[in-house]
Amino acid sequence: MTIDIDRLAMLAKLQLTDEEKAMLQRQLPDILEYISKLQEVDTSNVDAKAYLTDAVNVLREDVVTSTVDELDAVVAAFPRQVGGAMEVPGVFAA
Amino acid sequence: MTTNWTVKSIRDSVNAGSTSAAAIIDEALRRIDEKDGEIGAFLEVFSDDARAAAKDVDARHASGETDLPLAGVPIALKDNMLVMGHIASAGSKMLQNYEASYTATVVKKLQDAGAIIIGRTNMDEFAFGSSTESSAFHVTKNPHDTSKVPGGTSGGSTAAVAAGMIPAALGSDTGGSIRQPASLCGVVGMKPTYGRVSRYGLIADGSSLDQIGPIATTVEDVALVLSIIEGKDVKDATSVVLAPLDPPINGGKVLDLSTIRIGVPKEYFIDGMDEEVAARIHEAIDVLKKGGAEIVNMSLPLAPYALPAFYIIQPAEASSNLARFDGMRYGNRGEGVIEESYRSARGAGLGAEAKRRIMLGTFILSAGYYDAFYKKAIAVRAAMKIEFDAALAAVDVIVGPVSPVVAWGIGEKMDDPVSMYLADVFTVSANILGIPGISVPCGTAHGLPVGLQILGKNFDDQKVLDVALAFETLRKGV
Repeated sequence: MTIDIDRLAMLAKLQLTDEEKAMLQRQLPDILEYISKLQEVDTSNVDAKAYLTDAVNVLREDVVTSTVDELDAVVAAFPRQVGGAMEVPGVFAA
Repeated sequence: MTTNWTVKSIRDSVNAGSTSAAAIIDEALRRIDEKDGEIGAFLEVFSDDARAAAKDVDARHASGETDLPLAGVPIALKDNMLVMGHIASAGSKMLQNYEASYTATVVKKLQDAGAIIIGRTNMDEFAFGSSTESSAFHVTKNPHDTSKVPGGTSGGSTAAVAAGMIPAALGSDTGGSIRQPASLCGVVGMKPTYGRVSRYGLIADGSSLDQIGPIATTVEDVALVLSIIEGKDVKDATSVVLAPLDPPINGGKVLDLSTIRIGVPKEYFIDGMDEEVAARIHEAIDVLKKGGAEIVNMSLPLAPYALPAFYIIQPAEASSNLARFDGMRYGNRGEGVIEESYRSARGAGLGAEAKRRIMLGTFILSAGYYDAFYKKAIAVRAAMKIEFDAALAAVDVIVGPVSPVVAWGIGEKMDDPVSMYLADVFTVSANILGIPGISVPCGTAHGLPVGLQILGKNFDDQKVLDVALAFETLRKGV
């Protein structure tokens, strides 16, 4: 199986060094070969779901329960902020 | 000072007034200071906060609260659980300066019960790994042999308990990350049923798999801690309302095993498994049999597919969960315009295993491969559930090894991801299916600890603990 590491890294928004790319190019096919063992299992008659619990639409009252301290701490954790709002980089180069 | 460094003995002596929480914390800090230089279990010790919390517990005692269920018990947290105002880094450079903006539900419950959070322990970055070597910070050593790994990913928590620094710790288990290091370090570690313990305030790895659980030196201590942290939480929609555990388990009586049927699946003894480990497990099964249990040989033909299914579901979910680490809201900001900024923050902040899982998960979920990998894996998961439900209907618990091998040498598996992943071959089923599982020490092989795994039915955590306690008690008498 050939894997386009650069395209995957672009999708994953991950900057990789040449060394990391070479390592992944070597290791990912081994891992994919191992997990491809699953093709041996006949699953034509099972109903597949991402979660196994029976829970559906777990609801709660739509009220704010966070404290002011927690909200302040969220803002304080922003790497960059201006007046309590998160500062983000531009979408295009200036 | 108490020589019996267990959750129960500390709780009882603090409640009786024969010692104070402050004295217990001084002793825990002394032990950590004496031992952790060599072991490297902790990333940070909360000395000042722990001393202040101990004073609070002593004040509660003085004001009449003399039956706190965890009075004065020092408990460490894996570095992926949040305590407001403290760093929670998930073993990653990405979050090395991130101060939690709220407190995890399990932490609040521990504190209400009188426990004292003593610090945060080392782990594989974002809980990806099997040896704790993928931590961005340092390597943790196995207290039984410091040239060996402690297992992972909760290796710091298990090593701290195994070295006698603290009586109990919390870990998280996504594919075996509590049970496998508990086995390799010779302590008791439990993954409760999915939904039994709130994950609010746990940094997510694989959301359909993750569960928080206790690590301690005795089954009774594990049950005590679990009885405090369990329960429905409106802040975790996957948590469920349950009948509470009854500690001391089974009303203080050791379960009579003559009422118990124990399944032994042949798939849990595989080619290439360490023969001495297999011998210890067979001896453990004999102990249960002599104790009166009925041993039922069984087959779970889909069990060998649990690991490949896990290494599809987990990277798919983890790569999605880790999308939030883009340097915008927390962590270190990257350079350049927004797209470059994401890429550089993630490139600089994440380590090799995290990158491998993100790339694998992204591949598995990408157009053209989603059906062949992800959809197939969740179909196999559903088929496994049908098979295990039928098997478990005929028995009370299933037993087998936790790990096919004992602790290996530091650095031995770091260049071979598939061989590292195989360390989880017997533990991932419990996460795939949501069922409870525990690792209980059952002797040594090559001078290193071996753990017996006991798996139970969904939400029958009590039975798993009862059988584990019976085994522990019978083994002491051998």
